[in-house]
Amino acid sequence: MQRSAAVAAPKRRKPTSRGTVGLLLLALPGVLWFLIFAYGPMAGLVVAFKDFNISQGIFGSAWNGLDNFKYFLASGDAPRIVLNTVFLNTLFLGASLLAGLLLALMLNEIRGHFYRRFMQSTIFFPYFVSPIIIAIILQVILSGVGGRGGLVNNLLSVVDLPQVNWYTEPGAWPWILTFVKVWQLGGYTSVIFLAAITSIPEEVYEAASIDGASRARMALSVTTPLLLPTMGILIVLGIGRIFFGDFATIYAIVGDNGTLFPTTDVIDTYVFRSLRTIGDFGTTAAIGLFQSVVGFVFVTAAVLVQRRVDRESSIL
Amino acid sequence: MSTTITGRTQTITDLEAGAVLEERPRRKRRRRSPETGRPIGKRAEPFTIISYICVTLFGLFCLIPLWMIIAGSFTDETQLAKTGYSLWPAPFSTTAYQMLFTGGALATSYTASLFITIVGTALSLSCTASLAWVIARRLPRISRPLTIFAYIPMLFTGGLVPLYLLVTQVLSLNNSWFAVILPVMLAPFLIFVAVSFFRQLPEEILDSARIDGAGELRIFFQIVIPLSKPILAVLGLFYAVTYWNEWFMALLFISDPSLYPLQLTLQNLIANVTNAASLPGATAAQAAAPIYQLRFAMTVLTIAPILLAYPFAQRFFVKGLTLGATKG
Repeated sequence: MQRSAAVAAPKRRKPTSRGTVGLLLLALPGVLWFLIFAYGPMAGLVVAFKDFNISQGIFGSAWNGLDNFKYFLASGDAPRIVLNTVFLNTLFLGASLLAGLLLALMLNEIRGHFYRRFMQSTIFFPYFVSPIIIAIILQVILSGVGGRGGLVNNLLSVVDLPQVNWYTEPGAWPWILTFVKVWQLGGYTSVIFLAAITSIPEEVYEAASIDGASRARMALSVTTPLLLPTMGILIVLGIGRIFFGDFATIYAIVGDNGTLFPTTDVIDTYVFRSLRTIGDFGTTAAIGLFQSVVGFVFVTAAVLVQRRVDRESSIL
Repeated sequence: MSTTITGRTQTITDLEAGAVLEERPRRKRRRRSPETGRPIGKRAEPFTIISYICVTLFGLFCLIPLWMIIAGSFTDETQLAKTGYSLWPAPFSTTAYQMLFTGGALATSYTASLFITIVGTALSLSCTASLAWVIARRLPRISRPLTIFAYIPMLFTGGLVPLYLLVTQVLSLNNSWFAVILPVMLAPFLIFVAVSFFRQLPEEILDSARIDGAGELRIFFQIVIPLSKPILAVLGLFYAVTYWNEWFMALLFISDPSLYPLQLTLQNLIANVTNAASLPGATAAQAAAPIYQLRFAMTVLTIAPILLAYPFAQRFFVKGLTLGATKG
């Protein structure tokens, strides 16, 4: 984006020195925010190498080298939460991309302009629903308000299947959460794909139609391959974030329900819980640092790959 | 991570939104016969019929959960206590709403949420726009470093613990609504969206203002801002939804129930059913309080502003995205 603008736009006029002062004043609030709330916490990461003690403060506490990291590794939780994070994120990414792609292909078939717009808005809406509300809805569906059956169990009883107490079944939760993610992001992802579909030249479809392709064939052999670059970008972005679980949704739904931890506990929820319940700042910061560093490697790699693949839509 | 948790969550969604911004402009959308490029009059193919069915089903799949909440909020407690949910509000009852509207807790939570959303969005928008303009202005030795300065936090974050210590120990913002606003105030990605919009503003208008003797600040406030209303609306929408739905910061930093924003009040209700009994109006007759219905009603009232604004905002959103993306 920037690059093309740089070519097209004429050179901006140099401001006078008084003008520069004005501009710097404009930038000041934003810069201050970044210094305090983005760079401040980065400096605060030294806590990860300290035996932190509130009364001594961040810089007064004694150093303890890598003890915090050792403690975390020794606790045996590390493999579980790292695996859960990566596994769940992969599931979420795959499912929401697939749902988004299918929805976009199908929305593209709808002729009525009004109906298409309406459906697009409808399936986009869950994106704006807060995690707490999602958790409430899920509770209603899975267990009723006060643990009285719920919609799914009532449907199960209609076909004579045994009732399931979902909130004590860790095995089912990766799939339940994936389901939630499809609900939340399927429509949103489809909007992105639809935008890409509108940029496919008409002639391609005309050619396909002359060759006698059916609509299904066109969707499969024309539209889908042409959407691969968009798909690629979304996959790369998703992989870049694979170490950052969607804390808000998972914590709102699972909360402190320990029965479900084996399959749903991700790095973010683990860190939050350690902070709240154990109050061990040093160890928690160490896990956070570990996550940030690995996450940084992934994000940077993703951005670099993406720039290689598609210079046009690169982020910076 | 809290920047992970909130800032980061924003980042991915924003990145995706960015993909929309990037993908759109390539080519003007040509009218395909009726929307899809089929010759008119041809019979519908199986795939088209399947598409109609599947899209409609997915639409229902998106709406039914919301409907269950709304229906439940109007269903009498006796029925809810039997089934746990309700698909049709029968027997019809508005008891929960009456209790909520007469009690004080709803007003308190609404005040908190409105304050956080309105003040937060105003702060976010003004800081985003002004910083983005300075970056977009291509000042020698200033704009480029600022770009990198705002970009690094997208790649690396300090995490939850340092942020927690910063807000509670250094800034002492415990139990202040600003503790919810400030940590999520700027989304780097939205700054870059604004930058790319600002860079497309026609240089001629700015030049003519300069010839007329307008200073940099005056150009920003009197020319750039009015010309950028569409993109400001989009950014404002993003920020406002983020603030309205924000509960994690509140969970971390607000412990006084009288300061709880809506989302946190609601979370308390699901965390503990008995908490519902402590809701407004329930003091006298706790046993009689329709707790299930109250939860539904509270949920409806929490999502109502978004639900009501959505049809309108959605249009604005699409319009702004197209405008933001159509450039040279």
